[in-house]
Amino acid sequence: MSGNGSANRSNTRAIDPVTANVIQGALENIAVEMGYKLMRMSYSSIIRESEDFGAAIIDTQGRQLCESKQSTPLQSGPIPGYVKGMHQLFEERGDVLRPGDVIIHNSAYHGASHGPDVAFIVPVFTDKDKLVGYSVTTAHHLDIGALSPGSCGIVDAMDAYAEGLQFKALKAYDQGVKNEALWCILRDNIRASDLVVGDMEAQVAASRIGADRFLELIERYGLPTVEAASDALMDYSERLMRQAIEELPDGSYSAVGHLDGFLDDPARRDYKIAVTVQVSGSDLTVDLSGTADQCNDRPINMPLEGTVDCAIWLTLRSILLDSTVYGSIPQNSGLVRPITIVAPEGCLANPIFPAPTIARFAPGNIVADTLMKALTQAVPKQVGAGVGNLKVVAFSGIKGEQHWVHMEIHEGSYGGRYGKDGMDAVDTLYANTRNNPIEDIESHTPLRVKRYELRDDAAAAGRWRGGIGSIREVEFLEDSFISIEGDGHKFAPWGFDGGSEGNTASLDYMDAAGTKNSLPSMMPSRAVKAGESLALTGTCGGGYGDPMTRPETAVLEDVLDGYISVQTAKEDYGVIVTPGGEIDSAATAQQRSAASK
Amino acid sequence: MKLIGVDVGGTFTDLIITDSDTQETDIHKVPTTPEDPSIGATEGIAELCARSGIEPGAIDHVFHGTTIATNAVLEHDGARTGMITSEGYRDILHIGRHQRPENYSIMQDIPWQSRPLVRRRYRKTVPERLVPPSGDVLVALDEDAVRQAAREFKAEGVEAIAICFLFSYLEPKHEQRAREIVLEEYPEAFVATSARVAPQFREFERFTTAAMNAFIGPKVRNYVQRFGGRLGDAGLSADLHIMGSNGGVATAQTVAELPVVTLLSGPAAGVLGGAWTAALSGRSRLITFDVGGTSADIGIVIDGQYSEATARDTWIGGYPILVAMIDIGTIGAGGGSIAHVDAGGGFKVGPQSAGARPGPACYGFDGKEPTVTDANLALGRLDAENFLGGSMSLDTDAAEKVIDGLAEKLGIERFEAAEGVLTIMNSNMANAIRAKTVQKGIDPRGFSLVAFGGAGPLHGAEVADMLGIPEVVVPPHPGITSAAGLLTTDLKYDQIKTEFQVKGTVDLDKLNRDFQSLSKELLDQFASDGLTEAEVEQLRFGDLRYVGQGYELRVAIPAGSLDDAALEQVWQAFHEIHEQEYGHFFSDSPIEIVNIRLTGVGAMPKIANPPAPTGESLDAAQAKTATSVFRVDGALQRLETNFYIRAKLPPDTPFDGPAVILQKDTTTVVPPGWSATLDKGANLILTKG
Repeated sequence: MSGNGSANRSNTRAIDPVTANVIQGALENIAVEMGYKLMRMSYSSIIRESEDFGAAIIDTQGRQLCESKQSTPLQSGPIPGYVKGMHQLFEERGDVLRPGDVIIHNSAYHGASHGPDVAFIVPVFTDKDKLVGYSVTTAHHLDIGALSPGSCGIVDAMDAYAEGLQFKALKAYDQGVKNEALWCILRDNIRASDLVVGDMEAQVAASRIGADRFLELIERYGLPTVEAASDALMDYSERLMRQAIEELPDGSYSAVGHLDGFLDDPARRDYKIAVTVQVSGSDLTVDLSGTADQCNDRPINMPLEGTVDCAIWLTLRSILLDSTVYGSIPQNSGLVRPITIVAPEGCLANPIFPAPTIARFAPGNIVADTLMKALTQAVPKQVGAGVGNLKVVAFSGIKGEQHWVHMEIHEGSYGGRYGKDGMDAVDTLYANTRNNPIEDIESHTPLRVKRYELRDDAAAAGRWRGGIGSIREVEFLEDSFISIEGDGHKFAPWGFDGGSEGNTASLDYMDAAGTKNSLPSMMPSRAVKAGESLALTGTCGGGYGDPMTRPETAVLEDVLDGYISVQTAKEDYGVIVTPGGEIDSAATAQQRSAASK
Repeated sequence: MKLIGVDVGGTFTDLIITDSDTQETDIHKVPTTPEDPSIGATEGIAELCARSGIEPGAIDHVFHGTTIATNAVLEHDGARTGMITSEGYRDILHIGRHQRPENYSIMQDIPWQSRPLVRRRYRKTVPERLVPPSGDVLVALDEDAVRQAAREFKAEGVEAIAICFLFSYLEPKHEQRAREIVLEEYPEAFVATSARVAPQFREFERFTTAAMNAFIGPKVRNYVQRFGGRLGDAGLSADLHIMGSNGGVATAQTVAELPVVTLLSGPAAGVLGGAWTAALSGRSRLITFDVGGTSADIGIVIDGQYSEATARDTWIGGYPILVAMIDIGTIGAGGGSIAHVDAGGGFKVGPQSAGARPGPACYGFDGKEPTVTDANLALGRLDAENFLGGSMSLDTDAAEKVIDGLAEKLGIERFEAAEGVLTIMNSNMANAIRAKTVQKGIDPRGFSLVAFGGAGPLHGAEVADMLGIPEVVVPPHPGITSAAGLLTTDLKYDQIKTEFQVKGTVDLDKLNRDFQSLSKELLDQFASDGLTEAEVEQLRFGDLRYVGQGYELRVAIPAGSLDDAALEQVWQAFHEIHEQEYGHFFSDSPIEIVNIRLTGVGAMPKIANPPAPTGESLDAAQAKTATSVFRVDGALQRLETNFYIRAKLPPDTPFDGPAVILQKDTTTVVPPGWSATLDKGANLILTKG
């Protein structure tokens, strides 16, 4: 698979830089409005609190012109792929897009990120019935009718059919008329369908708003001008990415990472992810050859389009065009033109239908992390050490005939970075969602969050220490179900340049008698009883640089803030802190010089 | 009544005095004294009194707009702050919502982690836990642990303490008791409780608001007390009132306790000033457009009511803040905004600004970067000899030189580059206005744009053009509109309570009871300011959403005891507002009342109307004619342009653009295709066509 070649240009009309800037601002405004309205109208916390949604405008060639800034990268990034997949399916069926159509699409083998991330695509037509682009929203839905409640932790789905309903580019609205049969199927086959259908209606409304606004833009400036500006903006983004790639020394950079898989199943664990980055001038290839074969009957395979590509683009952009350093850059398809992705068919990163994919969330972040590890060789000052991976928990139950479903992403943390400690307790890499307020969870579900704090004395040592993961304990107030998909229990985030390895995650289940049982990072739905509880311990990112070179004062500050213990200060950093909370300089010098021998 | 308004900005302190008996108003400007702004403010007041022949002792009220709290946040220069929180939740302030501010950045900083309001060593936990739905006690408050924490804080030199317990918005008694204990042990500490500061659910946001209140508390409290002292020394016995972000004023005592309510003090006064001045010309549907050197503030006023920001959209310095604020959109675009060509060849204007020093190249302070002001000068839209009433002359050569440098990089000619700077700047500002109007279901074409601040009147007409807004109102003194706004406000306090009641199962008794208890708290607050119940107007609102949604919309709730019929009105109003905001509503979905709100307004005396204009004729007002450059029908044209002195313009005498109107505090541009009239309300009205 490759990015769109830069030669693939239909419109070479020159556009002045002022108009290009004005149209860029207008396009971004459209995507922001779509996202703003979607998150405010939607019902389920996974969209409105966690912000697990995307919004974008796509041109007739399937190229992304803009994306919503509030969205998570794993949602907006795949949108061009959804549109491409829709075209492929329409072509196969001989179907035609018409004004007033709204397409529902979620096929992971046709561009979708995975089944629960459903897109609503509104083709944008002028009043002369000329197709000018697509307005698209994607969102993660609470339930999509899989074998067990929720849409995460469906880790025992044996194939694509077990993952829930598949919508292969169907008309949810046909020329403005609601396809009632389709919506009935939705309602009848999805749990918590009031919430899910409400969220889908919100998506349709937001996609239509985007279509209206895009049309207004075209009416204001004329189609040729908008197209020419779009071309110029994509060229611009491409140019910035090429310049950044050119600064990398030509060559080949490789790294290997590992994924837990199913730690309680010897045949389905310890999956290898292999990444080789090839830099040649302003072109960059990411080759995943050497990655483990696909898992035929468990859903940790990653769609190449929709998950793997997004993980790669996100990582390259975050390192090579870091927005803290380079400022805001138009997020459009131009950025990916210099990038080619290679993944052998049948590997974990390019599975063959109907291999299941629904739990590809954690594996994709390992692709991103391993790519960063490879790039440490080329740009050591622009990267961090190993990133701690995430975990998603679905809590559910039945009240009367109605299901309740609550999904929570448990955060990881970043590794130490050149010049900065790692970020503590955040969503990592291609995920950037939000947690739910404890006061919201306890007001609306039979759950009690008993603890939510940083881990004690768990930061990876380094010149710049790793970020600190969190601990969250949840008690069940009623009999419920839980399912888990995550990673990071076995393979600690890597340390870099003398920094220590990070700390792995864990998951403990306490029964009413207080007996503790460790659970694996992937676990299908199981029943739990009122009074029992779950403790999630998040990953801690790796350390960057030799801890013995960390300034003594920084070590002292960490002791005073309770991030590390006095003993860790001594053992890992060679810094002796007195009981009065001061540095013992003489003892520290001695300790550090002994350590350097 | 004699009133003074004092608005402290970064460079200048603006003052205005009005006498409601003689209907006279006078204005004054003095340099801001950054080390202690109350010094400059008090001196300015003394000068203004002397000039106007008014005894300082005769002043009844002083209204003050201040950035002291905002600067403390932005510069992260606050008190050593501690926190007492529920055991098990020490790091709510640090973890936040576990979201990174930037999607695409390895090297980013997370504000609440890289510069915490409360360092972790000063976050102490105590056994305590309340649970929903009504705040029942699951774990009793460990009073000894609170006492111990207070002693430790005292020993550690912590000056301010935030007390933040989960679910305190349902039941504040644990926080209140902890506060009592802390003050027993450490009476000189500044203590804030989260339920007092922001009694709403969402613990990270509420705790952050309380922590920020504590962080800035001692500084603001000291400032307010110092200012009061200086006023007394200067012979004033007037009450000091401080502008709040909610568009009302609060007493100095209230602000000393709740400084977090003043974070948008200055911009809020601007919105009020814009609304007041436009009302003089009978305009009531307004977009206020306040453009200074580095930023532009945008507010919406409909029928005299400004819109309030929803609680989830209010951020200061990267921190979420849950307090009532006027909905103001701010972008980094102003006269000092720098134009540049970036690495990819993109043409950008702002958000970086040249500020006051070196400022634009044409200021002659050795500025090397092309700014918006340089572009205006290069196009002949500013009078180099008559800038700021002739108090400063501009260097046209310097402006042309930096614009030429920009043009060379872009491969276009000088005027194209200069006009491009303005078009990009105007487009950025138009997008910011769209975000507050079109995106919220408001059609800006039915509005007037009220343009003020030093640079607003230069850009107002062209920005209005981009949005289809037919009319621009330029106030009599655009540079001191915020100070004037201070004299148009009322005493205003907001009460809020989280309710979580769902349509169909609403406990009306509880709802009525809760409104009554809010009303009692509100009236107590006003009583401490000396106002009786009869003098306070009470307005009720609810924050509603469809069950399951996460964002609420504000709906008015009728006065009096609520019954089913009254609630039915509320549900209907919610559907309508939802449709207006989002273009869609869900008639079958149950609705939840998340919060109830009570706003109290106590009337304060107001500014006198400005005198009617007395100019004789356009000829008499004409200063000169010169060539300026505008885009007409897609092409740049050099046009003969009349320059007028505003103070000499005759009323009700329309004239056509292109024209430039000069006055001491700003320059107004009337583009070709627009005309202008000075009306009897002393506003300049620019009209398209």
